[in-house]
Amino acid sequence: MATRTVTVSRPAPMAKPQGVVRSGAAVLKGMWIANRHFWRNLWGFLRGKPTVFTVQYPEERLEHPPAFRGMPVLVQMDNGKERCVACGLCEWACPTDCITIYPAETEDEIERYPRVFDIDMSRCMFCGLCEEACPEEAIVMSHNVEIAAFSRRGTVWHKEDLLVPARELEKTRFRHIRRTYDR
Amino acid sequence: MPKITVDGREIEVAADTMLLPALIEAGIHVPHYCWHPKLSIDGSCRMCQVEVEGSPKLVIACNTPVRDGMVVRTDTPRVANARRGVMELLLVNHPIDCPICDKAGECLLQDYSYNFGTRFTRTEEPRRKLEKRKEIGPRMILDQERCILCRRCVRFCREITKTNELGVFNMGDRSVLDVLPDAPLANDYSMNTADICPVGALETKDFHHKLRVWFLKKTPSICPSCSNGCNITIQHYRNQIWRLMPRRNDAVNDTWMCDHGRLQYAFAHDTNRLRLPMVRRGEQLVASTWDDAVAEASRILRDGVKRSGPERVALLASPHLTNEELFRLAQLADVLQLRHVDTPVVVGQGDDFLIQPEKAANIAGARELGLVPRNGGRDAAGILELARQGSLDVLYVCGSDIARIFDEAVWKAALRAVPQLIVQDLFLEPIAAFATVALPSLSWAEKTGTFTNRKRRVQQIHRALAPVEGQWSDGEIFTRMLAHLSEGRWEFEPAAVFEEITRKYPAYTGLSFAGLGLQGKTLAGVEV
Repeated sequence: MATRTVTVSRPAPMAKPQGVVRSGAAVLKGMWIANRHFWRNLWGFLRGKPTVFTVQYPEERLEHPPAFRGMPVLVQMDNGKERCVACGLCEWACPTDCITIYPAETEDEIERYPRVFDIDMSRCMFCGLCEEACPEEAIVMSHNVEIAAFSRRGTVWHKEDLLVPARELEKTRFRHIRRTYDR
Repeated sequence: MPKITVDGREIEVAADTMLLPALIEAGIHVPHYCWHPKLSIDGSCRMCQVEVEGSPKLVIACNTPVRDGMVVRTDTPRVANARRGVMELLLVNHPIDCPICDKAGECLLQDYSYNFGTRFTRTEEPRRKLEKRKEIGPRMILDQERCILCRRCVRFCREITKTNELGVFNMGDRSVLDVLPDAPLANDYSMNTADICPVGALETKDFHHKLRVWFLKKTPSICPSCSNGCNITIQHYRNQIWRLMPRRNDAVNDTWMCDHGRLQYAFAHDTNRLRLPMVRRGEQLVASTWDDAVAEASRILRDGVKRSGPERVALLASPHLTNEELFRLAQLADVLQLRHVDTPVVVGQGDDFLIQPEKAANIAGARELGLVPRNGGRDAAGILELARQGSLDVLYVCGSDIARIFDEAVWKAALRAVPQLIVQDLFLEPIAAFATVALPSLSWAEKTGTFTNRKRRVQQIHRALAPVEGQWSDGEIFTRMLAHLSEGRWEFEPAAVFEEITRKYPAYTGLSFAGLGLQGKTLAGVEV
C-alpha cells in the first residue's frame, strides 16, 4: 500500500513566560464573567427585577410552542369518553411498538372503543407518528414530558391516565396538527 | 389449447374457460368482486371489464369465453376509466367506516380504490342509511350499508350449502342484502360467507372487533376437528390464535371449511393448559422435571412388562397426534411387545360435504401406522373393560378422547382400577387427574408434522404458536422413552422421522416431508 505523507503545520510551543501569562489571563477573564453575572443578578434580585433565565422547575414551567412533542395522550370528548375507535393504526405506525390496544364493542353511537389502551412511556420516543396516523384526531402529542415512575410497570400508562379533555388541547395542538397534516 | 394475446403477450389458455380465470391463471391481475373460482358467474360488479378486439364495448372478463386468436387489452385508458367509474359508483353509498371495519386491510374495495379508483368523492348527498350490526344468524352479523351487492354470499347459500338463506330484496338502488325473519343464516358453513364477502358487510361474531387483520401472522395448517383434513391458515398474534381461515385445496375442501372447525381453536392458547409434567406422590400430583417424569413413566412401562408380561400393559394412542409422533409411539409399542393397543376416536355427526363423523384429524394415520389392536389384542372398549376387571397393571393413555367416547362411569371405573396410569394430555381435567404420571401434550398449533386424512392424503401442519419454554413435544416424549427402553441413539426431528416412515411403510414410498408442499400428497394405493 502506498503511503501518503501530509505535512501539517503546528504552532510552535509557546515560550514559558508567555504561556503562563496567557492562560492566567484566560482564567481571570472567566472569573470576571462569572462575577459580573453574579453581581448583576444580585442587584436585579434586590431591585425585584431578575435578569436571569433560570426557571424554578417544577414550581415554574415554560410554555411550550404548539409544535412541541411531549408524550402522546388520548383525547376525551365532552361526554367523558375517548374519541378513539381502536382502529389500531397508531399501534401499526408506532416504530417502538409501545402501544397496545384491545378493541371492544358498545351500544353507543360510536360502536367501537378501546377496552385496553396502554402506552409504554419508557419505550415511546415522542416521534408523533401515532398522531399522524390517527384518522379520528384521537391521539395527539401533549406538552407533558414527565414520565418518571418508581417501577417499570409504572411507566405503562393506561387509558384512564392518558385521557385529556379535548378543550385543553384545542389551542395547543389541534390547530397545529390540522395545519401540518393538511386536514 | 387456444392461444390469446393479452396486452401484447401471447398466452396459452385452457379451452372452455372464461377469460377471467384464464387471465388469473396466467398471472395477469384483473380486479373483480363478484367472480369467485368456486361459485357460478354473476357478472353484477362490472369491475373486470376489459377491451376485446372486435367488440365495440368493453366486455366483462368473467363471462366472456376464451376463443383462439382473441386479442385482449387490460391496460388501456378506456379500461382504467371504466374501472374508475365502477369504483365511484360502488362508493357512492359505502359508509367508508374503515377505521372500525374488521375487513379493513384485506378489503377488496379498499385495495381497488387505492389501485383503480379516484381519490375524492364527487357526491354531497347523504349516504343510504340501512341496518348496521344486524344479527342474521347465530354466528354472523350483517352490515347492509357496507354491502356492494356482489351476491357472492347469495350464490354460496344457493349453490354450496343449498340452503338459500340470503337474498337480495327490493330492486334498483333500493336493493338490500338480507335474510327472511324466520330463516336465519344458521347452516354449518355460514361463516364462509364472511371470507368470500369482498367488503366488511358480512362479519363473523367470533372475530368482530377483535383485532386488525394486518397484525395477524399466517401459518398454513390442517383443521384438527375431523378426519376430512380441511386445509386452513392459522392466524395468530401475541402467541394467541385469533381465527382459522380455510386455505384452497381443490382435492380436499375447495375454499371452504365448516363453522364448527373454524371455532375450535381456543384450547390451544388456553391458560389452564397442563404445562409441567406431574408425578403422583401419595395422594397428590406434584410438578416434576421433564427428565424425571419421562424416566418415571419409562420405568413404569418397563417394570410392568417385565413383571407381569405385555398382556397386562395397554396403550391408547391419540388420533390428534402427528404421523411422526404416532410412528414413534408405534415403535414404543413394538419395543414393549404390547398387544392391547388402540386409537379411540370420537364419532359424531357428519354430512355429505365436508364434515366427517370421525372427530379427529389423524385417525387414518394412526390406523396406517399400526396403532390398532395387535395379534388379537383388545380394542379401546376392551382395554377399559380389562382395566375395570383389574387385569391391567399399566395403562398409557394419550389424549382425553375416551372421556368423550365412553360414559363417565365406565372410564372413571376403568382408570381408578388401574394401579399405574400414565396420561399424556393437554389439560389436567378430565383424565390426567387420575394419573400416576401426567405428561403435558402439545396442541396441533404448536408443532410441525403431518396428518393423514380419511382419503389417505398426507398433509403438513406447521408450528404457529410457541410452546412454553422447555416443553417437550409428544414426539420428543416418545423418543426419550424409547431411549430409556431400548438400545441405540434416538432423536426426534419431524422431517427425519418422516423419512423413517417412508422407509418402513410401503404406502409412504416416494414421499418426502419437503415434497408434500402446501397441498399434500396421497398415499400409494389410493384411487384419486
